[in-house]
Amino acid sequence: MFDTLKIAAATSLLALAASAASAETTVEFWHSFSGDSGEVLDGIVAEFEAANPGIDIDAQHIGNYNDIVTKLQAAIPARRAPDAVIMEVTRYGLFADRGVLTDLTAYLEADPLKDELFDFAREVGIYQGKNFIVPFNSSTPVLYVNTKIFADAGMEEIPSLTTFDEILSAAQTVQAELGEAGISGIAAPGQFARWGLIMANDSDLIDSVSGEILIDAPNTVEAYQWMASLVHEHGVASVDGVTKENNGRDAFLAGKVGMMMNSTGNYRRSKTALGDDLLVLPMPCNKACAAPIGGAGIGILSTSEQEVKDAAYKFISFAAGAESNAKWFAGTGYMPINKNTKDQPVAAEALEGEPGISVAIEQLSVARGRPRPPVVTWMRASEYDKWQAMALGQRDVTETLSDFATQTRAEEARTN
Amino acid sequence: MTSRLTPYLLIAPLLAFIAVFTYIPILTSANLSFREWDFLTDAKPWVGTENYRLVLSSSEFWNSVKVTAIFALISVPLRLVLAIAIASYLVREALPQRLLRGALFLPSVTSTVAIAVVFSWLFATDYGVINAALAWFGLPKVYWLQDPQLALWVIILVNTWKQLGYDIVIYIAGLQAISPDLYDAADVDGGKRFHVFRRVTVPLVMPTTYFLLVISVIEAFQVFTVVDVMTRGGPAGATDMVVNLLYRIGFTLFDIGQGSAIAVLLFILLIALAVFKARVLGRKVHYEA
Repeated sequence: MFDTLKIAAATSLLALAASAASAETTVEFWHSFSGDSGEVLDGIVAEFEAANPGIDIDAQHIGNYNDIVTKLQAAIPARRAPDAVIMEVTRYGLFADRGVLTDLTAYLEADPLKDELFDFAREVGIYQGKNFIVPFNSSTPVLYVNTKIFADAGMEEIPSLTTFDEILSAAQTVQAELGEAGISGIAAPGQFARWGLIMANDSDLIDSVSGEILIDAPNTVEAYQWMASLVHEHGVASVDGVTKENNGRDAFLAGKVGMMMNSTGNYRRSKTALGDDLLVLPMPCNKACAAPIGGAGIGILSTSEQEVKDAAYKFISFAAGAESNAKWFAGTGYMPINKNTKDQPVAAEALEGEPGISVAIEQLSVARGRPRPPVVTWMRASEYDKWQAMALGQRDVTETLSDFATQTRAEEARTN
Repeated sequence: MTSRLTPYLLIAPLLAFIAVFTYIPILTSANLSFREWDFLTDAKPWVGTENYRLVLSSSEFWNSVKVTAIFALISVPLRLVLAIAIASYLVREALPQRLLRGALFLPSVTSTVAIAVVFSWLFATDYGVINAALAWFGLPKVYWLQDPQLALWVIILVNTWKQLGYDIVIYIAGLQAISPDLYDAADVDGGKRFHVFRRVTVPLVMPTTYFLLVISVIEAFQVFTVVDVMTRGGPAGATDMVVNLLYRIGFTLFDIGQGSAIAVLLFILLIALAVFKARVLGRKVHYEA
């Protein structure tokens, strides 16, 4: 009996030792990619795990950027936050400011990746002089055109689409010719495109250098007036895209809209949906040529254990490496963030065979990062309702933006 | 001694469950309503009644109270009237009635998010089936979810469609409990169908009606998912319910203090409504025929 117990105890100890030897460090990673993008990310995760047998990346699709912010809020006080998380480039400042994100400066300084990243990609990860996220999916908005719809509307040759007037004119032509067939001229701009159009009108929502709130600046008001007029005055953009921002994109993908301004991250699905009928153009230059840099980076939660943080950074570095980034770029349309990406065969092939995929990269010369103080998270969450009221013609644009600017300044004073 | 403790021991697990999931959150929420907190830091400084002052002086809050009250005033009677009418037809134990009961109950057990997504596509202005059908009849398109006058009606319609099955099932149970002898007696007395319904059925299902009234008023004041998915409180605040405002302030604008203050005010309002209903209507409810 005693011998049997001894054998059982020894076996248990051996099993315990064996399991400890093969124990994996698990990194819980929250992200926002589903569908085709999700599959590309899954591939990158699988390759990382194959190259790093001791690390398991538990990648979880949480929803869009807003959903991630909301879920993080609930998870942090509950001590159930993930180890790594995708954070949109204008919204991580609040989390960095509150000490929720780990300062990655030391990691990046010791990583050869630092010199491989484009300047714009490095810049978007810096808040108050420290690196809090490493970019993963970077983008600018671009102008997508359905050339078949344009041709059906009598515009065999695509007209210049550089100024607000030119875009409106083309949208009106599409609407006049094909409106009865259920085709709209243009998709109501989503929030990222709205920010881009404000920049194209030589203004901003918040000055990226001084931090001054520019919501009620004349050029911002003018840009909103033009955007709102597309819906309620000229009727060239469907109201459905105002109450649900993704409706405009979905309608464009379904071949029901002539133009759409949206993230270059929509390139792959647009190409899949429209094939050779898709034309990608830079954002308009109405009063200035400028575009916002968007997308997201991966941050590490400060609550994670050091060993997990190290493993998480290893994954972040791998994901931003040239090989992974090339697959990500070719598979989604998000911009390369690594200088060596273009040399990878899969990226070179995409750049050569698909001219549309490079528009966002070419636009980088006029693109700039956006401010990311804590109030930006509040401002972006509040902006949807203001836009809806203006676009549906329920509130005057100047009055709405004046109120919104006052509220944002008050919130800035409260939170900063 | 053991026998005296037994009842307390038996209810202890349930009490613990209710304490953890109901009373502790209520007390925590009340505590947070006097503090400033953004979820992200451990610091929760005491701000006294400042959150209540901000909420009660906000036009958004009063708009949400008004919208929610209108929603409750329309949707609750609508649900109860439709439910008792349909239940009166479905109370019979025949195959068509049984099939219809199942069909009508189905929305109650279907995901509210799925229902809201489907209805938001049905009611889409340019891409929706309903406007396509109207166009087929030569009628102009209707801005269902963009017109402030119409959006609340759409929400009421969807919510009624979702909840009606539950109300019907409860009413059927209430109707089945009425003794057939009473109907036979009314029949012998020459009572017409409508009069029998008014004088016999309605008074005898009063306990069921009262129960559904209490439940549906609480539900009406807590409606959230349908609004969040279909309109997010818009257009121009026309469908902005109290709980949607609470969620927006607490979870998307990072002000859990004000969000908690709204939750406490809603709690007090619901308690007041429950007391009012018990005082005014409770006395008219008779639990025995």
